[in-house]
Amino acid sequence: MTAPAAVDVVETHCPYCALQCGIVARTSPTLSVVGNRAFPVNAGALCAKGWNAAAVVDHPERLREPLARDRAGRLVPVGWRYALDRIALGIRDTIRTHGADAVGILGSGALTNEKAYLLGKFARVAVGTANIDYNGRYCMSSGAAASNKAFGLDRGLPFPLEDLEHADVVLLAGSNPAETMPPFVRYLETLKGRGGALVVIDPRRSATAQLATIHLQPMPGTDTALANGLLHVLLRDGLANQPYIERRTEGFAKVRAVAAGYWPELVERITGVPEKKLVEAARLLGTSARGFVLTGRGPEQQAQGVANTLSYINIALVCGFPGTEGSGFGILTGQGNGQGGREHGQKADQLPGYRSITDPAARRAVAGVWRVSPDSIPGPGKSAYELLQSCGTEGGVRALFVMGFNAVVSSPSANEVATRLASLDFLAVSDFFLSETAKMADVVLPSAQWAEEDGTMTNLEGRVIRRKRAVAAPLGVASDIGVIVGLAERLGKRKWFAYDTPEDVFNELARATKGAPADYSGITYAKIEAQRGVFWPCPSAEHTGTPRLFLDAFATPSGKARFHAVKHKLPAEAPDKEYPLYLTTGRVLAQYQSGTMTRRVAALNAMSGTAVAELHPQTAARLKITDGGRLTVKTRRGSVEVTAKVTRDIRPDTVFMPFHWPDEQSANRLTNDALDPISRMPEFKVCAARVDPLVKDSTKAPGSTDLGPVLRDLSKDTRS
Amino acid sequence: MTSPHRLVVIGNGMAGARLVEDVLARANGDRFQVTMFGDEPYGNYNRILLSGVLAGTQQPDDIFINPLDWYTDNNVTLHAGIGAARIDREAKVVYGSDGRAEPYDTLVIATGSVPFVPPFENLAPTEPAHGPGPYKDGVYVFRTLEDCERMLARAADVKSAAVIGGGLLGLEAARGLSGRGLEVNVVHLMEHLMEMQLDRDAGLMLQKSMESLGVKVHLGKATTGLLGNGSVTGLQFKDGSTLDCDLLVVAAGIRPNVALARSAGLEIKRGIVVSDGMATSDPSICAVGECAEHRGLVYGLVAPLWEQTAVLADRISGRVEDKVYEGSRTSTKLKVMGVDLAVMGEKQSRDADDEVVTYAEPGRGVYHKLIVRDGKLVGAILLGDTSAAPALQQLFDRSTSLPESRASLLFPMGDAPAQLSAADMPDDAQICNCNGVSKGAIVGALRNGCKTFKAVCDATRAGTGCGSCKVQVKAIVEAVAGDNLQDDPAAHYYVPGVAMAKRELIGAIKDMNLRSVSQVFDVLAAGREDPGSKAGLASLLKTMWGNDVVEERDARFINDRVHANIQKDRTYSVVPRIFGGVTSAADLRKIADVADKYNVRMVKITGGQRIDLLGLTREQLPEVWKDLGMPSGHAYTKAFRTCKTCVGTEFCRFGVGDSTALGIAIEKRFQGLESPAKMKLATAGCPRNCSEATVKDIGAVAIEGGRWEIYIGGAAGAHVRKGDLLTTVDSQDEVITLTGRFMQWYREEAKYLERTYDFVPRMGLERVRAVIVDDAEGIAARLDADMQTTVDSFVDPWLEAHAPVHPSQFSQVLEPAAVPVAVEVRASRAEALAFRGAEAGR
Repeated sequence: MTAPAAVDVVETHCPYCALQCGIVARTSPTLSVVGNRAFPVNAGALCAKGWNAAAVVDHPERLREPLARDRAGRLVPVGWRYALDRIALGIRDTIRTHGADAVGILGSGALTNEKAYLLGKFARVAVGTANIDYNGRYCMSSGAAASNKAFGLDRGLPFPLEDLEHADVVLLAGSNPAETMPPFVRYLETLKGRGGALVVIDPRRSATAQLATIHLQPMPGTDTALANGLLHVLLRDGLANQPYIERRTEGFAKVRAVAAGYWPELVERITGVPEKKLVEAARLLGTSARGFVLTGRGPEQQAQGVANTLSYINIALVCGFPGTEGSGFGILTGQGNGQGGREHGQKADQLPGYRSITDPAARRAVAGVWRVSPDSIPGPGKSAYELLQSCGTEGGVRALFVMGFNAVVSSPSANEVATRLASLDFLAVSDFFLSETAKMADVVLPSAQWAEEDGTMTNLEGRVIRRKRAVAAPLGVASDIGVIVGLAERLGKRKWFAYDTPEDVFNELARATKGAPADYSGITYAKIEAQRGVFWPCPSAEHTGTPRLFLDAFATPSGKARFHAVKHKLPAEAPDKEYPLYLTTGRVLAQYQSGTMTRRVAALNAMSGTAVAELHPQTAARLKITDGGRLTVKTRRGSVEVTAKVTRDIRPDTVFMPFHWPDEQSANRLTNDALDPISRMPEFKVCAARVDPLVKDSTKAPGSTDLGPVLRDLSKDTRS
Repeated sequence: MTSPHRLVVIGNGMAGARLVEDVLARANGDRFQVTMFGDEPYGNYNRILLSGVLAGTQQPDDIFINPLDWYTDNNVTLHAGIGAARIDREAKVVYGSDGRAEPYDTLVIATGSVPFVPPFENLAPTEPAHGPGPYKDGVYVFRTLEDCERMLARAADVKSAAVIGGGLLGLEAARGLSGRGLEVNVVHLMEHLMEMQLDRDAGLMLQKSMESLGVKVHLGKATTGLLGNGSVTGLQFKDGSTLDCDLLVVAAGIRPNVALARSAGLEIKRGIVVSDGMATSDPSICAVGECAEHRGLVYGLVAPLWEQTAVLADRISGRVEDKVYEGSRTSTKLKVMGVDLAVMGEKQSRDADDEVVTYAEPGRGVYHKLIVRDGKLVGAILLGDTSAAPALQQLFDRSTSLPESRASLLFPMGDAPAQLSAADMPDDAQICNCNGVSKGAIVGALRNGCKTFKAVCDATRAGTGCGSCKVQVKAIVEAVAGDNLQDDPAAHYYVPGVAMAKRELIGAIKDMNLRSVSQVFDVLAAGREDPGSKAGLASLLKTMWGNDVVEERDARFINDRVHANIQKDRTYSVVPRIFGGVTSAADLRKIADVADKYNVRMVKITGGQRIDLLGLTREQLPEVWKDLGMPSGHAYTKAFRTCKTCVGTEFCRFGVGDSTALGIAIEKRFQGLESPAKMKLATAGCPRNCSEATVKDIGAVAIEGGRWEIYIGGAAGAHVRKGDLLTTVDSQDEVITLTGRFMQWYREEAKYLERTYDFVPRMGLERVRAVIVDDAEGIAARLDADMQTTVDSFVDPWLEAHAPVHPSQFSQVLEPAAVPVAVEVRASRAEALAFRGAEAGR
């Protein structure tokens, strides 16, 4: 593949979160970025991650050539041909001895639509394995499942962000956009400036909660009780939108009966949210003509994530918001291409266009585009965490190929995940840096970055946008598309992977989604550029896209949105004498996800360089811990050592940790791997923990720039 | 396959129905065959909410937790309205009141409790036919939905009520009846209210609060009998006194409902005695709820009931077969007559080692009491203000060690820590979270020469993320820079070169009668000419003075100087005025002739329904205008552009209003009207809106009945916005009047280059409507008059063809080489570069 000559200024998008802020990348004298005022989503605004996006591209730790493990167990530089040969060999050997399903593939919500699509096709056509999933399983799976159940379709926000500004009220449940996607907050500021109200539900008084008109601070794991309590008050006080409920929904009677069991005094006892605030919030929602209910990972990353999300959907439905212009229900996608990533077939149960892999018609349609027999497409595979759990086990995955997924840091019960990865026969990882997962691999492939390749992303609004190549990738670094094509060739499947450019892949993707729920068939690169983004579905060449869904009907068979009666259940693990506190996790502004990129940027580390544990002063005093002191946080799955941050922003019964760091600072060594029965989402957001002051010498400075562990790890075979 | 386990539950209340739910949640539905007996003829409702029904704050329909279809959906057989009459333990069969037999493998008794009614004299009805119950007419207990409904029926017709019993239930009844407008007397045998939950001080304070709400409380009163023959008319007390009432609620307490269990020979003390496994003296029979006595205690609150059902469900379903119930710590939270009350655990200290923390504020009816034992909370009463309850509840439930400062328990130190003022903040305080900018960095930027808020933001990136910190950044900039601070011109000034907001500037120009751009600079900007401000000032002067402006042509963009639109190859385009898009064969012929004569390179119908002649040189312009003999279409300047129309009523099958005539009238009246930014208008003859009037700066749409909807602030360019409906009017004249009034106000209030789609949201539609439609500010007449003056002073600029303003106006020679092309202020340099880059990339 030959790239077009680099130009000196390119309009593209930030490499981080799902907002996909427009940036203008300048390539001379060195790569730098500024916010793109012409892109409506951010109108020029950027957060610190975005401003520093260039720093990861030309970074000294960047992988610049493939690595492979030598006989001594060291990762050493090798050529591309050798690296791909060795991966193909690993895959072929595994298929021969254990069958194709013993090959696992893990993708990422950071991949472009083209790569996500191609990885899914690679798994099903070139390898023939059912076992492909992606890290969006940890992100959007609960929300997506709930949206599908309630509305028949999952597009994170079924409306453009600009609609938020004109609302009377926005309820944000378990989301902290002031840190996770700061430019989003401009919409909330405008809303407030117009007299609108912001209600935030979060066990922490997060940066976002501090902007709220009303902040409800429930105990972790009590979302459904809280939502049902809001519902109770809405019904009790006659604030339900009855005409809407009759005309546009079904299943209300059962929900009304459930709400009867959640009266405010009881809800206060379960959640710890004062009755007065509950009633105040319900009245705000119920008396607003235009409103939005938005959920984030807080309620979703629980073993009852789907039920929690459904309980918030019930509130939106009772108020008549979804499918009403100027109102709505939405889920704030986290990863850059979390939306597109879950639409195009890298999810265990899905084929491109959000088609179900068990639907015979969908299989036929995709098989036709792929030019394979429908029967040759494998069935549904294991979800991400279950796939990782099966690694190295009898009948499980024996060889794993990972693209842009730092599973060792981002998975729950991370110690267990590391053990599983270590027991694999073969592990290959493609990433920009030597991530904690890459360190364990047999072959590591250096991958091109955001500024170095073309493709499309789909942001949290379902707006398909163009990521554009601004600079050439360093010598020795290849595009993932090239990697997939190269591996397919080695597996004897080149014929099915005949692409010259990402645009070729996109055009095939578009055909593969024709008639599917997420229909991209009318989208082209040219149309995206001309319109500065196209909202799917876009089913024909003449169609300009669909900014607002459900205005006439929902995507259910009856066209009506469905209520679901859901009841509060305790989290999988509740505090007890031994582990008396709740642990909840989240993100900080200056770091992103597993930190593979951001932990390497000095400017960001200067803002948040190490993991902390947030404790309430009452709790800290009881445990004799002072602000800035060192402590251990321990759960049944592991223990970490971090610095105390004593703050009134957290509940006295809860300790909060960001999860961006590896090793001794890894919050996910602590989190619970209990899974939601429907979405298979792990319970990241609540488990039982204990905190103790760390008495031993704490002169060892924790710091992610310390390369010691990396070098040490490189020198030993972690699987011996 | 084994046959399903037969689970029979007697009682369909808060405990019985909950138990069945709990069992089903833990086991496959087909493992159990569940049968229930319930005295009441419907599904299970939330008894806690009955007081809300009585008070009218809750609808009866909204309190059903398990409506009848819940039972069918879950395959549970409910004998609704059929109580259990007898248990045959030998045969393991329960007989219903209708004689039906239900064999069981496991039987659960959840019969709850029955109201206790003391043996008052004259309690029974005078004759059996009088009233349905065992009591005299107008006498009620408060237990069921039916009790509640009967009480309400009577309450509608009578004036006064008495409640015997000053406990929880009695006070709930009093609250409900008082809320229904009755005069309510509470009669209590004891020396203070709610003696079960409250200590004396709290009880007395509660009484005061209730009395202030109009409920009379009679303490230490023993009722001996009822007065009245058919219906109750009053109470007779032991001390000889009496009290009149039309309605009586007896809430003197409850007793466990053990009759059935007793007749079955189960062990009974106060209630049905159960083990830690909730089993009665017969291992096949369990009991839960208010009818059960566990370790000597009978519970009457819902939380312990549910703890019991959860334990029993674990055992029955086999999930945790040896699960035990160890008793509950009781607490409750409620409103008594609207007074908030939360109580937990013990109400009195046990001995001198207990630490008792009290706080009272009688004026507000606030009373707090905590009992602390071994550093842990064992009891609490919070009356009047329960904001500390959620946190205390948790400390109580989990028996957590308390913080040393007990005051911090009762008065949590606010959610929000006190905000330090900008001046007091330490230098390392983080101000902008998005970009990690500290106060020190902002101060540094000011020291390094930044003089404005905007310059500080640009230099530090503070405020460039979510924007929430701008207020704080401003405060710091103001505090630090003090008098040295220059305000941010872009934020307030009409143009950057004159330090005045628009209103102030207009005032000054009027006061000093300034008629030219250079005069404005001389007088208001100390003679400092700012090239970037000239066009804005010229536009403003034109708006204010019409033709009485001393034109200084270098103040205007090239387009405005030569009245044509410069193109990228530096040729010009000419758009003659075609009113309302309606033309004639004669005009078209003239245009065609001009196109031929001057070799026009392209003749184009524009988006605004006009004809554009492209590719003319500057020198040709005056001749072209002369030959056309038509007025300027103003396609080049910040002014009213065109009014797009649809076919209207004359030919169209759908038209309901003559949009063509209206469009022509609008265009004739407002042609050439200068404004802060261009204005595109449209009129549509029906709501099909072929002329797209709802996405125009101003649009009029005809609707049935000869009426017109006026939309403002719409846009369909780079920015798309649906116009806001300003108002609906009855005639074309009103459309023209309101259009002119809005335009004039916009001309006065808008920032230079601010389109209506930004202007309207900035002002707020409500305000716009108030000013334009309702004349809330009393300026409508003045706006109309000023608009009329402007309209009257219109002169077609193309008349300059006959007399150039200065000799070189249309000659290329004297034009400087580097004329700045009109630059949209919205487009930043970065964008301009971006577009170029994008083009280059294609």
